[in-house]
Amino acid sequence: MADPLIEHAVVGPASAPDDVLRVEHIAKRFGPVTALRDVNLHLKKGEVLGLLGDNGAGKSTLIKIISGFQKQDSGQMFLHDQPYQPKSVDDARAKGIDTVYQDLALIDELSVYHNLFLRRERLLLPLPLLDNRRMKREARAALDEIGINIPRIDVSVARLSGGQRQAIAVARTVSSASDIILLDEPLAAMGAKEGAQILDLVARLKEEGRVSIIMILHNYVHVLEACDRVSLIQDGVIALDKPTAETSVEELTDIVVNEYRRARAELHEEGAAPPA
Amino acid sequence: MANVAAGAASPEKATPPEGDPAHTRRVSLANGRQLLERVLSLREGSIIVVTIVTALYFALETSSFFTSANFKTLLPYFAPYAIIAAGEVFVMILGEIDLSIGAMYLFTPFLFYKLSASWGIPLVPSVVIALLVCMGVGLANGFFVAVIGINSFVATLGMLFTFEGLALIISHGETKSIPGAEVTHSEVSVSHIVNGHHIVLKETVNHIGTFAKIFGAGVYSELIWALVIVIVLQIALTFTRWGLYTVAIGSNKLGAAEAGVKVNSVMIRNFVLCALTAGLVGILEAVRAGSVEPDPAGSNEILFFAIAAGVIGGTLLTGGSGTVVGALIGALFLGILRDGLILKGVNANYLLFYTGLAVLIAMTVNIYVQRARRGYSGSG
Repeated sequence: MADPLIEHAVVGPASAPDDVLRVEHIAKRFGPVTALRDVNLHLKKGEVLGLLGDNGAGKSTLIKIISGFQKQDSGQMFLHDQPYQPKSVDDARAKGIDTVYQDLALIDELSVYHNLFLRRERLLLPLPLLDNRRMKREARAALDEIGINIPRIDVSVARLSGGQRQAIAVARTVSSASDIILLDEPLAAMGAKEGAQILDLVARLKEEGRVSIIMILHNYVHVLEACDRVSLIQDGVIALDKPTAETSVEELTDIVVNEYRRARAELHEEGAAPPA
Repeated sequence: MANVAAGAASPEKATPPEGDPAHTRRVSLANGRQLLERVLSLREGSIIVVTIVTALYFALETSSFFTSANFKTLLPYFAPYAIIAAGEVFVMILGEIDLSIGAMYLFTPFLFYKLSASWGIPLVPSVVIALLVCMGVGLANGFFVAVIGINSFVATLGMLFTFEGLALIISHGETKSIPGAEVTHSEVSVSHIVNGHHIVLKETVNHIGTFAKIFGAGVYSELIWALVIVIVLQIALTFTRWGLYTVAIGSNKLGAAEAGVKVNSVMIRNFVLCALTAGLVGILEAVRAGSVEPDPAGSNEILFFAIAAGVIGGTLLTGGSGTVVGALIGALFLGILRDGLILKGVNANYLLFYTGLAVLIAMTVNIYVQRARRGYSGSG
């Protein structure tokens, strides 16, 4: 690769034998903006992968492609070594991939339990009616199991705090029996205590070993604490891929800051160049 | 429940004697308060209170308001609006609006006339085909709004003009008699006893066909249609996935899509429903009247009254929240208002003026009662 951007990159092997998910050469443009240029990523069974990168680096776009919300322009994905191309969010969920989006995808007007079961509603079959009693019961059980304190589950989520809302969004995914969970900034809008609760939840899920997690985080301390491995997206490619044990807050910060300085220098050059 | 609550509130008198009048009064007070809280905690609560107060006012002011004759007069003042508003509520909860209901109301009976009278298709199949065409228009509305992304106000305004225009074109601007709504007369001899003498008089009796009785001309036909449609749609809104997704889209469209809700399909479905209810009411009203006039101004009034019924009933124009039963009560409020003003002998020229003022007052009271309600209720 003669690409100057990847020259300095520290990228580990793009696959491992026990991968549950592999992403190869994913590219995505939005009109004139290139969000992802050539992303290679893999996720091992039971692993917690931290996805880093500055604002606009393309992290959320990558999550949305994996979760079936958007479609890539080129590149392939493999789920348990089988080609994977989700047709919709429902399709991805049916294949075991569930997502907590940055905006949480919570419906303010609906109750806690209706939010928890959105698109997975329990019905009074054969009638097409909602089994609210069962959903309330199961919602209560699911929230208790993951240790999130929501006093009332029949109130609308608009009445909950930012942390409680985040917790509901995470709980929705965790209770969905998926084996891959994508978390887009799960600690945004959280107090320190609530954030710790979510990280504890992630740690507990890791211990159980049933699910694999990709998590977008901004705080490098959290990354080193909660993740097994980090992948850093810069300019639409993976610029770093390392086990967290082999990196540090300083290294991660350096890479991001260097990237910023380099980009600014480039911009400066362009600005200084005489118009053609 | 009330006994338990009252008992718990006054533990020092936990076991009062059964016949104690003070105890009974306290329980009934608690009951009354609980009932008020229960009513106010409903989304429809405020309009229920406003409607009852309005009805009481006219009952006290006029002697003829609480009579069965007036009840029958009142029916056509609210049942048609309740049906159209029920469909419109499903669109309003999405945060959209459907103005084309005025056109569907006007166009569908003319299409029915064309199918039945001009082309000789039997009555019921003609109704079915006319309503299928309505649903097609609703599909187009939904497509323009959800898929192409035209603002619903603009898209359905275009449809409103288009189909009101089409109604003028296919009717050649002429009033048409609605097939199946013909009134036949027969003479029967009825014996009366006058001053102890039997006398026999011939009387004319009007008959309408079964089709007309069902589709609007029967005295309670529109009321039954309204109640059935409102109950079914309220159940659909509260207890089915369709209703849940409708609220979800109106509250957070992107979030609903991210959760996997098929936003476009739900939106299109609601526009189809809305056009269908408007077309049905067009046919019911035309059959009830026996004829249909190509009068866009009249159908536009229906359009605004239906939307007003929904809003007064507690459905937000901004989406995410609404109730079909509330729209029925909103329609009832508007009906009682119009009927009551007529009974009071208000000059016809003042009717719209007073209606407008009353809507403003009702909505103001509505908002204050809703604020009070927040104090009582656990859920927003």
